[in-house]
Amino acid sequence: MTPRVGSATLALVVLGLPFASFLLLALVRPLRRSAPAAAGVSVAAILGSLLAALLTRGGAAARAPGQSPSTTWAWIPADGGPMATVGVMVDELSMAMLLLVALVSLLVQVYSWAYLHDEPRTSLGRYYAYHSLFAFSMLGLVLAPTFLQMFVFWELVGLCSYLLIGYWYDRPAAARAAVKAFWITKLGDLGFVAGIVMLWSATGTFDFWTLFQMGSQGTLPVVLLPPIMFLIYLGAVGKSAQFPLHVWLPDAMEGPTPVSALIHAATMVTAGVFLVTRTFPLFLLTPDLLTLIAWVGAFTALLAASMACVESDIKRVLAYSTVSQLGYMMAAAGAAAPEAGFLHLVAHGVFKALLFLGAGVVIHVFHTNDVFRMGGLRGQPWIWVPFVVGTLALAGVWPLPGFFTKEAILAGVFDARLGVPFVMLSVAAFLTAFYMFRVVSLALFAPPHHAGHAHPHVPGTMIGVCVGLAALTLAMGLRQAFGGDHHAIGGPGWLPWFSLALAGGGILLALAMYQWRSIDAARVARALGPLAWMARRRYGLDGLFAGLYRHGLLTMARLVGWIDRYLVDGVLNVLSAWTLQAGDGLRRLQTGQPQDYVYGVALGTLLLFVLAQWGLR
Amino acid sequence: MTAEMLAFAGVAVVLLASSLGVVLTPNLFHAVLYLAAALVATGVVFLLLDAPFLFAVQLLLYAGGVVAIVVFAIMLTERLVGASIRQASRHLINGALVSAAVFVGVVGFLVQMPPAGPRPPWPDELTVLVGRALVDVFAIPFELLGVLLVIALIGALYFARTES
Amino acid sequence: MPLGAYLTLAALVFAIGLFGVLTRRNAVGILLGIELMLNAVNINLVAFGRFHADLAGVMFTLFTIAITVAEVAVGLAIVIVIFRVRRTVDADHLDLLRG
Repeated sequence: MTPRVGSATLALVVLGLPFASFLLLALVRPLRRSAPAAAGVSVAAILGSLLAALLTRGGAAARAPGQSPSTTWAWIPADGGPMATVGVMVDELSMAMLLLVALVSLLVQVYSWAYLHDEPRTSLGRYYAYHSLFAFSMLGLVLAPTFLQMFVFWELVGLCSYLLIGYWYDRPAAARAAVKAFWITKLGDLGFVAGIVMLWSATGTFDFWTLFQMGSQGTLPVVLLPPIMFLIYLGAVGKSAQFPLHVWLPDAMEGPTPVSALIHAATMVTAGVFLVTRTFPLFLLTPDLLTLIAWVGAFTALLAASMACVESDIKRVLAYSTVSQLGYMMAAAGAAAPEAGFLHLVAHGVFKALLFLGAGVVIHVFHTNDVFRMGGLRGQPWIWVPFVVGTLALAGVWPLPGFFTKEAILAGVFDARLGVPFVMLSVAAFLTAFYMFRVVSLALFAPPHHAGHAHPHVPGTMIGVCVGLAALTLAMGLRQAFGGDHHAIGGPGWLPWFSLALAGGGILLALAMYQWRSIDAARVARALGPLAWMARRRYGLDGLFAGLYRHGLLTMARLVGWIDRYLVDGVLNVLSAWTLQAGDGLRRLQTGQPQDYVYGVALGTLLLFVLAQWGLR
Repeated sequence: MTAEMLAFAGVAVVLLASSLGVVLTPNLFHAVLYLAAALVATGVVFLLLDAPFLFAVQLLLYAGGVVAIVVFAIMLTERLVGASIRQASRHLINGALVSAAVFVGVVGFLVQMPPAGPRPPWPDELTVLVGRALVDVFAIPFELLGVLLVIALIGALYFARTES
Repeated sequence: MPLGAYLTLAALVFAIGLFGVLTRRNAVGILLGIELMLNAVNINLVAFGRFHADLAGVMFTLFTIAITVAEVAVGLAIVIVIFRVRRTVDADHLDLLRG
């Protein structure tokens, strides 16, 4: 692909419209209190952003080799040039992300109008305000030309995640989940900010383009780079739910389903992958770190896939699936194939959003998230066809996009000679197909749990959005299969058949266990015994974090509190007590008897005599 | 032993003895009488120092006026016969120590004085000179003194009035 | 007699007066001690004046005597008022300034 650069002005329009919408909704109370008006403002803004993003992409010009794709303005002044700048970086990577974010945001906001129809009118205004803020934050993150600016938007995105997960703030579970998400990602962010600061102190700049130039010219301090890049990677670990900071994502499903579709499938969680992809020229200089990233990614993919197999909450299955797919993307980056990972990011964003929104339809019909209470939707093609399209895409079946992107990732990992990660990713692919079709069988085609849902009423908006996303998924896949730029997907010749076999095997197993009931699921569970037991308990990681918090952090806080109360305050209290005692003691000098005062004068005079005698010497 | 030395010795003895009497007798009225003696002795010291005018002033004001005032005050405030010395005074040792220390301190300076020469010439008509100085060099202090005496008079009158 | 003798005599009288001020319980007794101290000061002044042939010694003494008389008058008036109010002039009982 020839490097292209887009118009900075248009990029600013993309960024500015949701921000304006947020400001309007935040400041103008009557607007926010009226749900239709609020929704209208927000949707109009994001629609405008989408159009501007399309225009940016369409009008992108070719970029000369040495030309920076960033447009920046000075921000924090310092001697010898500004210390930090703000601006936009409009290259292919950010333009693709702009389209993804704007499109999925628009679809989710439209879908939300129907899904959250039962919400109190005034709350919905708040909901759309948060959506606008989130769109602004994510778009800003994607357009950031410097580490510092990206970090600012990174934190904003985290804030929006907290606000949206905890949208139903009067539900204790939702509140807890929002805080948990915030805390866990904050752990990663600590590393991120430390890495940024160290990088700045080593190189003197935050700017990506400048750093890339320094890297290619060899002027970067390569010795310091591994720890710095590792710290920066930690931010991605938190945000993109890599092991061990993945524990917040399943709990984040407490938020409304459209929110899960938007930020926990397509956009926010991809920020970590985006970070690694964006700064990949720097990661290239630390090959050992890349290997670690690949291993962690592959392990995350396998771990999350195993936990998805035993979940009965449809949203939780999709959450673990997202964690697993994020592991795939990171593994691709670790295998020095970031383009494969990014392609998977975009494709996954579309079909995972489809799956979540489709799950939202099913939840709307059955008023429960439990797959074992669903079923009997065979007669509603408008509901199950889009969902099955998404499932096939996720499982990696030709000609849907998941097949191509997953194959590209496996190829990249194979070519990088990463044997164990390759095996882990392959097993994860098998499990992915398995657990998704388990859900399909149980939720859609199984005999209905109880009759009465034969003719469910689903709002047309929701169906329409799902159908649209399914069509887009199909189109993306067909374009990859039959036309367009055919990237030479590397890897051995047997790879496409191998990945198809993995997908097919998983599907067949799932159908056998849950559709045709030819294999008893309970026996398989018993056979896998301890593994299934551990998976059901999420391998104890949640407990680990809770324990660390309770015993580690709180104990330290108590210690610090004790020091503050007894040592620091204690010193002050002791000093003041001494002062009071001294005052009480000295008070006894004032007897009120005049002769005692004369004694004092006489003694003072004697003292003066003595001093004068000494002075005379 | 000149006459002056003898006179000085005698006056010194009287002065010191009567001073001790002032501070040591339990009977307050006796103390006043001792004070009168001390004041007269001081007047004689002034004589020895060639200041006869001051001798007269001392006798008139101090030995006459002040003693009279104090006697009246005693009569108005106190029973004349007091008890033993332990009740009339207190903390004798402390007081003696501090007084002795002060004396020692002053003498410490005195011993460092260069030996004084003989007395320089002194005018005979001291009174005339004093009179002239009062309206000449010391005119302002003299007038201020008058004001002070008026103030003291008024103050004493104010304190002494009976509530009506 | 040399100057030093007069000065030493004055110092002695001063110390004795100080002793009286410090130890007397009766307020009038304290005032008597103050009189002695002032007397000693007068002796000092005249002695210095005589031995340095300065009239100022005598003049100062004159003023001191006059001022002392005024002070005694006012002081005793105060003592009388205290006696009227508190029925005692015992210095041990005059401790209103106690802190």
